[in-house]
Amino acid sequence: MQTTVNTAGHARKLAAAARRSGRSIKPMTPGRVVYLILAYLFLLFIVLVSVYPIVWVIMSSFKSNAAILGNPFSLPDTWNFDAYVSVLNQYSFGRYAVNSLITAGGSTIVSIVFYAMAAYVIAKYNFPLKNFIYVILTLTLLVPGHTKTQPIFQMIMNMGLYDTRTGLWLVYLSGGIAMSLFVLKANFASIPRDLNEAASIDGSGFFRTFWQINLPLARNGLATAGILMFLGNWNEYYYAALLTSSEQNRTLPVSLAYFNQAFSYDYTRMFAALTIVVLPGIIIYALFQEQVTASVAASGVKG
Amino acid sequence: MSTVRRGRKGGKYTLMEKRSFPWIYAFLFPTLLLFAVFYVEPIFQTFVTSFARFNGYTPPQWSLDFSDLGGTIFRNYTRLFSMNSFGPAIRNLLWWSLIAMTVHVGIGTAVGVLLYNRLRGWKFVRIVYMVPNVISGAAWAMIYRFMFNDDIGVINNLIRRLDPSSHIQWFYSSPAAFWAITFTWVFYAVIVALVVMGDLMAIPASLHEACEIDGASGFQKLIHIDLPLCRNAIGTSVLLSVTSRIAMYENIALTSRGGPGNDTYGLALILTKSITDFNYGLANATAMLMFVFGIVTMQIINRVFRMNDPVY
Repeated sequence: MQTTVNTAGHARKLAAAARRSGRSIKPMTPGRVVYLILAYLFLLFIVLVSVYPIVWVIMSSFKSNAAILGNPFSLPDTWNFDAYVSVLNQYSFGRYAVNSLITAGGSTIVSIVFYAMAAYVIAKYNFPLKNFIYVILTLTLLVPGHTKTQPIFQMIMNMGLYDTRTGLWLVYLSGGIAMSLFVLKANFASIPRDLNEAASIDGSGFFRTFWQINLPLARNGLATAGILMFLGNWNEYYYAALLTSSEQNRTLPVSLAYFNQAFSYDYTRMFAALTIVVLPGIIIYALFQEQVTASVAASGVKG
Repeated sequence: MSTVRRGRKGGKYTLMEKRSFPWIYAFLFPTLLLFAVFYVEPIFQTFVTSFARFNGYTPPQWSLDFSDLGGTIFRNYTRLFSMNSFGPAIRNLLWWSLIAMTVHVGIGTAVGVLLYNRLRGWKFVRIVYMVPNVISGAAWAMIYRFMFNDDIGVINNLIRRLDPSSHIQWFYSSPAAFWAITFTWVFYAVIVALVVMGDLMAIPASLHEACEIDGASGFQKLIHIDLPLCRNAIGTSVLLSVTSRIAMYENIALTSRGGPGNDTYGLALILTKSITDFNYGLANATAMLMFVFGIVTMQIINRVFRMNDPVY
């Protein structure tokens, strides 16, 4: 039985692959040439609008103010890191980065464990209200985050956590519920159920079966959901701006609003500061490109 | 989806399953607690206090005098509706939602179809298209602010090569500010592209083979088979893109700040301004309006795209 299914699946995959490769060597009719030209022009435009703004910012951070004003399109003459050195000396970027890391990373580590526990029981067990719980939890994807602003602001105030990293960490815990559940539930569902039965015969309890057997096997899903959750919190601006005020609790995205006032006409340093804020996200993406793509696709599928 | 197993009602659980119930609910507890604290309670509080006199210094006060609707229980709503920035905020929301549904989702769908067709370099496009989504929205708004700057921005310098006298003040004049803000998000539809691509890949190969046997052209196949079959992905994309427009904040707050005048105002800006003014009742009335917009959009999209019906 198992083998027949596999062979059928394999044959289908081969057929699909053949079809796909067949598509690329289609005869070059005039219609197809026009289609290809338009398609590539469109994709070129997409690539340009996606990377040019960032490339432009990075390029400009190495140019003098006069060069930026003179010709915004020109490449830098030298790779001059003076602006970076000066910006890093003047502002405690290290501190902002640490604040971002503690709030975004700390909340991701805690809530990914919580969501993994919830996704695990939803994927593996039957219990009353299961579908209802799953549906209401995933509907959170559609609640505009801002609608809860005042109650959350007041809650943080009442707890005495205004302008603390703990307060922001607490708020970030609730981010990404829906996306994490989509990704993790699918991941746990793909782990064979037999494993749980074998474990319980061997006398492994509920928690150990989860922690020692299922969780390690779901590490792909954990990475996928965790990275997207981390990026979301790392880039979060709205609540960070609302719930912190002092420089010592400022996160990287919030620091941008302050540079704007500080460097009003010092474009080189402004662009250097922007680059410093933008680069970590791009580096994380470069390292975990597959996971980010997978999680974005998954979180949209079951909106 | 797991709804297949839904037929099992209470009492149908095996002894083994029943024995696990305490563990199961213990595992759900942290997530449900977060859900209660950060979703249920805030939304409930928002709803209730949107009808109250509420300034942050004293506890919320409800006056249950229905004799004069305008002056009492709906005071925050009537005040919101009569604000100078309210009209522009609603007008902008409607226009931006329309642009999101058509142009934004259209661009994303087109990229999704091209990625699915695996043109040479599709992987590169997929990687690059995601980049604007992984950096902070605040940073992206700032970058656009400089792109549209009259002195150093590339846009105006490009325009000046054609028309040397042009000096469009993008974020400070009308209607340019509306369009400049639109440009900060309208092209970036990588989520749409990935979701559509996912649905296209799920189309059974047999359907496409049948098409080819019938002699359908690539375009006919796209219009009659591919796009109808990914209506779930497109519906989801429309919904998510409209929800993002309702919540749009950084793109405005860090560029035009709602100006010139109130021309580029949004509901999220009214909300934050009310909070910093300690006008919590007004803030929560605005939040409820955003919430209702979200629900209404969801209902409409579900109907139009028949999201609950099976596709195959």
